[in-house]
Amino acid sequence: MRLLTLCFRNLSRRKLRTLLCIIGVALATTFVIAVGATTMRYATVIKEMNVLFSGQVMVVSKDAIVIQAIPIGGGMLPQNSTVNKIKNITGLEKTVPILFVTPSIEVSGTLIPVPENFSMGVPVEDWRSIFGSTPLKGNVGHFPINESSNEAVIGPSLADQYRWSVGTKILINGYELEVVGILDTKLALLNRCVVMSLKLAQEIYNYRGSVNIITAKPVQGTTQKNLADAIENQISYVNALTEDERNDMIQPILVQVETWNLGLQTVVFAMSLILVMTVTLMSVSERRRDFATLDAIGASVSYVFRVVIVESTLIGVLGGVLGIFFGSLLALVLASLYTNISLAQFFPSIFEIVPPLYLIEIFAAIVSVSCIGGVVPALNAMRMRIAEVLRAEY
Amino acid sequence: MRMKTTDLTRIYRLGPSEITAVNKVNLEITEAMFMAIVGPSGSGKSTLLHLIGLNDYPTFGKICIDDADVSLLSSSEHRKIRLLRMGFVFQTFNLLPTLSALENVELPMALAGKSSKEQTEKALRLLEAVGLSNRLVHRPKELSMGEMQRVAIARALANDPEMIIADEPTGELDSKTAKEIIALLFEINRKKKAIVVVATHDEKIVDVADRIYLIEDGGLRLQS
Repeated sequence: MRLLTLCFRNLSRRKLRTLLCIIGVALATTFVIAVGATTMRYATVIKEMNVLFSGQVMVVSKDAIVIQAIPIGGGMLPQNSTVNKIKNITGLEKTVPILFVTPSIEVSGTLIPVPENFSMGVPVEDWRSIFGSTPLKGNVGHFPINESSNEAVIGPSLADQYRWSVGTKILINGYELEVVGILDTKLALLNRCVVMSLKLAQEIYNYRGSVNIITAKPVQGTTQKNLADAIENQISYVNALTEDERNDMIQPILVQVETWNLGLQTVVFAMSLILVMTVTLMSVSERRRDFATLDAIGASVSYVFRVVIVESTLIGVLGGVLGIFFGSLLALVLASLYTNISLAQFFPSIFEIVPPLYLIEIFAAIVSVSCIGGVVPALNAMRMRIAEVLRAEY
Repeated sequence: MRMKTTDLTRIYRLGPSEITAVNKVNLEITEAMFMAIVGPSGSGKSTLLHLIGLNDYPTFGKICIDDADVSLLSSSEHRKIRLLRMGFVFQTFNLLPTLSALENVELPMALAGKSSKEQTEKALRLLEAVGLSNRLVHRPKELSMGEMQRVAIARALANDPEMIIADEPTGELDSKTAKEIIALLFEINRKKKAIVVVATHDEKIVDVADRIYLIEDGGLRLQS
């Protein structure tokens, strides 16, 4: 008889208890996966924000809080004239004014909040310096051709959600825009954006003459730091942030998020360990006679050890499989709730929300925890001797 | 197999007091012997069987099998001897409840590393020999007490042991079934030439035994 079959049967002797233990482990796994995947996704989005402006200094309003590349709040916004001032600074190769606006889109009367959607206004002559490596889906369409055209390029997630395609007319703040291209990108940030000309964005969102980001690329031989210092010295009402400074601002938050996530995982896994250990100890204690009989008929201690360990590991495997299924589902539901994208649309990209490697890691962790949970009960089972057990019974 | 015990003693310590369960037992068991150990409850019968069956270590004295002292061997060596050279029959049968009759009999052979085919063929033969070929897939709770004890006997025979140790094998059975079990043990002793050591109160067993020992207060003496 195979060990695995024997262990399955042993577990089925106390069906309800085993089931409850498996559900406990499954709940723990579900929680870890859902919370972990959601946290990871948002951390990824935050990290991605810097990708577009890699190697550049970002000039924002003096009082703006900058999360990676996204300025929030701030006092006086940089004007178009600020761009001209920056252009005169030594050590500058290129500068691009950008307007980031959120919330941006109203569809069927529903406002979709930050950070799910945003609009980005970029001068048409500067598409390449911002989206240079980002192609359009199926190579169909083009970026807006001139500043005054009512054209927009949209992120693929928006296109999928609302079934927009090239040629679709969309309404933003009473302005009718034609979709002229769909970005082909995996970046979470660009997945949900509407890109249009700077002038059009300023008009639609009533930011005439203002921008909230000016990127500044240093010439070769000039460091970002030197350029940022020069900008701040000459223009008093802006902050010039290097890539390192932007990362430094967000790093402590990301570390804290990761630490909390790890802490939660540790607590949940510790609880699972205690649960599995308690249930297995009860099971071993009830089967003292069986283990003593195995010892009497000559079963090796390693065989007895394996029986108990396989039983506790099976609880972890079954709970882990259920937990992965429900955890992935919950992560999708959470992503859907936070982004207002229907669940059905998330299914094809399930492994972007819950990466397979993460699932494997959590599965391995919960199986290991269950396996470890069986060690103490297994050691107890190994010590059972027929003479002592029978004597204790009489 | 020949077994000889010399001054075999087992003392249990219960707090400050000591209980001598088996006291300086000298016993010689030779091949194909059917031996009964009788005595009142608490006289040390089961303890002596556990010592002889290498399920327990003596406090003093030694046990020799085929002239080799086995009393000081490691527990894993004892396990090997129990697995390959001994078979055990308990009063309460001690079958594994999640295994069928067939699987219970196959288990010692699986532990001994025999092939799956060999296990099944042998287990089928043994269960047929004890009259249970129609109860192969039944689990212990689906069997009568007599049937459970037959399965236990078949399990004890699985690895062709040289010695079968039975502790009150008829203690839980009605007299008709007890008679059948005794007949079975006797047949095994005679046909397979296996030593059978039985601790019992049952006079029917005493009647068929080649040698009868009485144990009282841990001390053993030959009765007949």
